[in-house]
Amino acid sequence: MFDWTIVGPALLAGMLVLSTHVPLGMRVLQRGIIFIDLAIAQVAGLGVILADAVGWEAHGWEVQAVAVGAAMTAALGLNVTEKLWPEIQEALIGVLFVLAASASILLLADNPHGGEHLKDLLVGQILWVDYQQLLPLAGLYALLLMCWFGLGERMPTVGFYLIFAIAITASVQLVGVYLVFSSLIIPALAIRKLSPRYQLPVGWCVGLLAYLLGIGLSMVYDYPTGAIIVCAMVVVSVISAWTLPALLHRQPVIEN
Amino acid sequence: MYHVTIPRILLALGLMTASCAQATVHVFACEPEWAALASEIGGDKIEAVSATNALQDPHYIQARPSLIAGIRKADLLICSGSGLEAGWLPVLLVKGSNSRVQPGQPGSIMASDFVNRLEIPAVLDRAQGDLHAQGNPHIQTDPRNLALVANVIAQRLQQIDPANAPYYQQSLAAFQDKWTKAIAGWESQAAALRGKSVVLHHKSWAYLDNWLGLVEVATLEAKPGVPPSAAHLEELLQQMKANPAALIIRTPYADPQPSEWLTKRTGIPNAALPFTVGGAPGADDLYSLFDITIRILVENMGRQHE
Repeated sequence: MFDWTIVGPALLAGMLVLSTHVPLGMRVLQRGIIFIDLAIAQVAGLGVILADAVGWEAHGWEVQAVAVGAAMTAALGLNVTEKLWPEIQEALIGVLFVLAASASILLLADNPHGGEHLKDLLVGQILWVDYQQLLPLAGLYALLLMCWFGLGERMPTVGFYLIFAIAITASVQLVGVYLVFSSLIIPALAIRKLSPRYQLPVGWCVGLLAYLLGIGLSMVYDYPTGAIIVCAMVVVSVISAWTLPALLHRQPVIEN
Repeated sequence: MYHVTIPRILLALGLMTASCAQATVHVFACEPEWAALASEIGGDKIEAVSATNALQDPHYIQARPSLIAGIRKADLLICSGSGLEAGWLPVLLVKGSNSRVQPGQPGSIMASDFVNRLEIPAVLDRAQGDLHAQGNPHIQTDPRNLALVANVIAQRLQQIDPANAPYYQQSLAAFQDKWTKAIAGWESQAAALRGKSVVLHHKSWAYLDNWLGLVEVATLEAKPGVPPSAAHLEELLQQMKANPAALIIRTPYADPQPSEWLTKRTGIPNAALPFTVGGAPGADDLYSLFDITIRILVENMGRQHE
């Protein structure tokens, strides 16, 4: 019924994004640093604009290197601030976001082509993704997941921040900030009340179901794909959060 | 959800099979004016869709599945070109992987290639803003450009659909006849506008100004695509106090705030012109588009703001 050649790459991109973002999102929620992805993505964009502003015309992998470099620098900085002032970490992340965004606007006042870079970095559109772009992403994410699950509990805080920075810089360019934020936070919210052994698999399923539903609705009604997936994510997660604890546990397990 | 969804799917499938059976020429236009122009020439032999509507800025669009599906089945692609769609058309062409409408094929028309382009920058300096290296792409605001593009569309339709070639020839001749008369009508209505000075929101109106003899004295955006700065607005205000322009004009998708701001401080009237088919109530085809554009200009030019 659907033309899978149109939405197939989008669905695959969604699955790849979910593979890293659901476990990362659970940690983000635990730490209460919800807006870290927006801040990191904005800093990655700022890095590219800065490189442009100092006259370095970056293309292809160089842009990626600058973006990841900037994102990792910000991540290392946030790792330090969390150690120094954990009680204001979320506020600092917010400040970093507006600072990076405003600095971008100031730099762009003289350089609108940097603005195109920034747009490319922040508002990727999931429907434009093609299979060639997904291969490197799959390799990168396999590496990140190996580090993540290999180290498990032994993962130092700085490791979390670095993996997070790399994963976000890659995903934001493909699917855009709204989808990255929703893939991180919404499934993690839906599984909060489940016992730990169910959390990750159910989170992945919730996310996948949302992508399937969103992409299906987008095909039938011709809605912009990214936006409708975000809406589907909220609907699927609200239903899951209501029904799953009762279904999976005879006596609801209260976490946190 | 079911009772809505199922008919929609059936309708979509039905439309697909129906259009296959009739061998209609599928025209995919990037902007509504090209869909309208193709329909003037192709009549019921073609089916034209537009990727954007008049209230969207054609520089940026949201990715929808129908855009890819539209490119896939397109026999003829008509866009303004000159970099206007640079942000999304190349990726759409890759996703659509339709060899008939790739650049250089008879099925690909970049309309601005066929007119005399204005504002081609002598020096491309990126400090100048979001400039189009190939010149100003908003060519549809001069009806004489549409006449030139109509010739190209008719020629390509004959090439793509030889069976209906006589039909396309006839309807081109009929269109050019009617259009030439319409242009003469608009020019006589707008004769009094010649030499009047205008302030633009964005540099979207070079061709209209050139056609009607309007004089661009300033733009609200100091550099195309970059929001106005306080210093630029102050300078503009001083300029307008010394030498008031007759009208401030903008596109329907532009933010009205900057022009309202300038109107409040200078008393110079401002107006949104339709810019393309569908850009104002009643601007449903190319004729009414220019009827309304000229009417708004004539009614507002030099009107004292109360």
